Amino acid sequence: MTSLDLLFLVSGLTLVVALVLGRQRLTAPLLVVLYGVQFAALIHTGTLFGDPVAASFGITVLDQPMHWRYDALSWFFAMITIGAGFFSAWYAAGVWQSAYAKGGQSPWLFHVALAANVFAMLVLLGSGDFLSLFLGWELVSWASFLLMALGGPASGRAALRYLTYAFSGAMAILGAMALLYTQAGSLEYAQVAAAIPTLTNTQVWVLLALFGSGFGVKMGLLPFHLWQAAAYAETPGPGSAFFGAISSRMGLYAIMVVIVAMMGVTRLANMDVVFALVSARDLLAWIAALTIILPTFTALQQHDARYLLAWHGIGQGGYMLLGLVTGSAIGTAGGIMHVFNHATYQAALFMAVMAVVHRTGTADLNKLGGLVARMPLSFLVMLFGIIGLAGLPPMNGFVSKWMIYSALITDGMPLLFVAAIVGTLGTILSVYKLIHNMFLGQLRIEHEQVREAPLSMLAPMLALATLIFLSGLVPGPVLSWVAEVQRVVGLPVVNYSLGGVIDPRGSLDMLWLVGILMAGFGVGALVFFGFGGKSRRVHQLDNYAGGHFLTAQVRYQYSDNFYAGLMHLIGPWYRGAFRWLEEAISALVDLLSYAMHWIYRSVQPLVFLLAATVAMLVWAGV
Amino acid sequence: MDWKELVLELVLMPLIAFVVGMGMVLMMRRIAAKLQRRVGPPLFQAFYDIVKLHSKETQVSHGLIHEIGIVMAIGGYVAAETLLPVPGMNGIAAQGGLIALLYMTMIPSLGLALGVGQCANPNGSIGISRALTAMLAYDVPLVIVIFGVAYHYGTTNLVDMIAQQQAGGIATWGAAEMPLLAIAGLFAMQGMLGKHPFEIYVAPAEIATGPMVEMGGKFLGGLFVMQCFQLYTAGVLYVTLFLGGGENWATFLVKSFAILAIPMSIAMLFPRYRTEDMVRLMWKWPVMLGLLGLAFIVR
Repeated sequence: MTSLDLLFLVSGLTLVVALVLGRQRLTAPLLVVLYGVQFAALIHTGTLFGDPVAASFGITVLDQPMHWRYDALSWFFAMITIGAGFFSAWYAAGVWQSAYAKGGQSPWLFHVALAANVFAMLVLLGSGDFLSLFLGWELVSWASFLLMALGGPASGRAALRYLTYAFSGAMAILGAMALLYTQAGSLEYAQVAAAIPTLTNTQVWVLLALFGSGFGVKMGLLPFHLWQAAAYAETPGPGSAFFGAISSRMGLYAIMVVIVAMMGVTRLANMDVVFALVSARDLLAWIAALTIILPTFTALQQHDARYLLAWHGIGQGGYMLLGLVTGSAIGTAGGIMHVFNHATYQAALFMAVMAVVHRTGTADLNKLGGLVARMPLSFLVMLFGIIGLAGLPPMNGFVSKWMIYSALITDGMPLLFVAAIVGTLGTILSVYKLIHNMFLGQLRIEHEQVREAPLSMLAPMLALATLIFLSGLVPGPVLSWVAEVQRVVGLPVVNYSLGGVIDPRGSLDMLWLVGILMAGFGVGALVFFGFGGKSRRVHQLDNYAGGHFLTAQVRYQYSDNFYAGLMHLIGPWYRGAFRWLEEAISALVDLLSYAMHWIYRSVQPLVFLLAATVAMLVWAGV
Repeated sequence: MDWKELVLELVLMPLIAFVVGMGMVLMMRRIAAKLQRRVGPPLFQAFYDIVKLHSKETQVSHGLIHEIGIVMAIGGYVAAETLLPVPGMNGIAAQGGLIALLYMTMIPSLGLALGVGQCANPNGSIGISRALTAMLAYDVPLVIVIFGVAYHYGTTNLVDMIAQQQAGGIATWGAAEMPLLAIAGLFAMQGMLGKHPFEIYVAPAEIATGPMVEMGGKFLGGLFVMQCFQLYTAGVLYVTLFLGGGENWATFLVKSFAILAIPMSIAMLFPRYRTEDMVRLMWKWPVMLGLLGLAFIVR
């Protein structure tokens, strides 16, 4: 038995334990421990810095061997997956799941779905050939559907929509695999990778389109992003934290395995669209840039905290792809590192929002406010999270985004650079609205007695917040993993230090930056608290504005249409073009199915069969 | 470098920035006074103001975040000043460069926004919503300029940029080699400073609206300190990017004050723009100029 078998075994065991013992009260903590054991088993494989490990078992389907193996790339994604599962299960294990059960839902089903997701993802990440990739892909789709559909009618609809998208994507992947098989004669990664350089540009274009759209569906790349926000936001509690952290990154993993590692960014850059104005790489980069901007500004308009975060999750995926397609050492490292960073802060943010939902019963941004005095620690977690999401120092999001920005500058891509920063600015606007409408401003009278989130939920939140800060202060360890991933995928390897990146065209050392920022805060505190008169703190509800004393009965929170001036200007740009596209496609599919229905019903099917047979014979004869 | 020397630089750079920044506030007021045919304030007025605000008897705090917001507003700039090279002192400019500096200066805005948010005054929140919208407006031309400059010099390290400009005299200054970007940068700076005609998001003339509405006493005093840093950072950054940095303290200060005098003079000549008109303006002319400027640089 290899160390990889052990990992699969432990992960499968977690699923079985959840399935069999899940109705017992004490199983939840046991599951948390089991996720911890999975983590230990993953580290035990030693595939990050060592050699790849293969699983000892394999299946042969139609003479095609299916096998599994782990390398640094798998390790990196698997580490985040297990981590996300661990923190989500931890969050769910205490008060959350009793409240969930009181609401008439089944924590057992939740834990089973979560364990199934982790297991399916680990299988996908271990794929050693296209068949096992496809198997893992389908497993992940079904497991995700299971978890998504748990939350009632709205989530059921969103989950079904997801499944439709996922199946279309899987069909595209299957088509691409068939094409590859005819060309390479095998579905093994090694043989396919050897065959791809011999393919013509047209063939690679077709493969790129099929694989790109198939993987892009899961990743939420434009224009296949419409399913994601609702599906992730409606997932119950920590499930959305898990999805937000890692689920859609499976698409990125597949893109890295197939498009980055096998086709290669250089090849893509040499494949020109007509007139040689735009290459395939530019096309991908622009899809990434649009994926950053459009969902981010859609997030800005959301009234539901969960939806706001889910839309940002789509947008942040754009940064990862954008970093990858730069092809340079720093840019790709930034893109890969952003996967980790995003997982940490997105999980923390979703958990903070869910803690507020747990205490107040709503995530509606127009029905909250002023909770900072009631739930200070949740506020702190959210603050760390939004600084990370917005990509400001000193949190980890800044490091990965800095790397992407500087790669774009070095490569001379001005418009993409501007697009990336505009996305960040939109994020800043949006996350301020999030924290303002939930934690700042007027405290609603019905929330006066709200208490801090329970410890069982706070502990994983605070742990994640610490991780966000620490991996911002000392990005070196994460960068060392990223460097190994780059080596495996065949990308140039980033030159990193403990505190950041070393580059002749501008380095980054977070140890210095964070240190000086903390010192600055110290000076600021000295100036503010050390000098001058003593300030008198008034009660949170003791307010006065516009010539009137405001009592708690008056609702004066400024929350709805927060950026009225901006929306006045850019509001008309939100035309829902992608929704139109989706509706047009589904209308087309409807029409086709009606047409087929009519043909089969009204015309003799035998005639068609005969005609088809004759046509086949003629074609075969030629 | 000797660590004692570095520590000295890290202490001196924010301190100098504060003192010079007070001088810049004074210049702004003197220019306004000249244009309005007034005498204007005395030499140490900025200092008097800070002392006065800090020693006010009534200081109303709306909670810890209100106070921490001010701490972040000052602290972010204190940190940012050590990333901005001045003659003879580079501080830790090599550890982050231009992009880190840009993002470091967003920390004070975030602090201010958080502080105002806790005050639970809807007029303050409206002010923040306008301020963030304005940031989205002027940052688009600004990042175009920053891209152009960083690409042109082939580095994001401010120390290297200054060295390259000083190597060939005035002919190699950023403003001489990238005139269009220099103009676009000036435009963006006007928006960044939050002075006329784009001051509606600060609303300094209104007592009952804008982000400052709940800020009194040392809260306002802290924001006054922040303003000194802000003027200094804007002026010095522009000098660093386009005017060859400082060869010595005399030329450095002359350049920094002179470049700030331009937006300050313009400020008093125009009426206000509404926030959405500001967005429209900023996304049109300076962006066009900047993109045109980029076309000459990016090959």
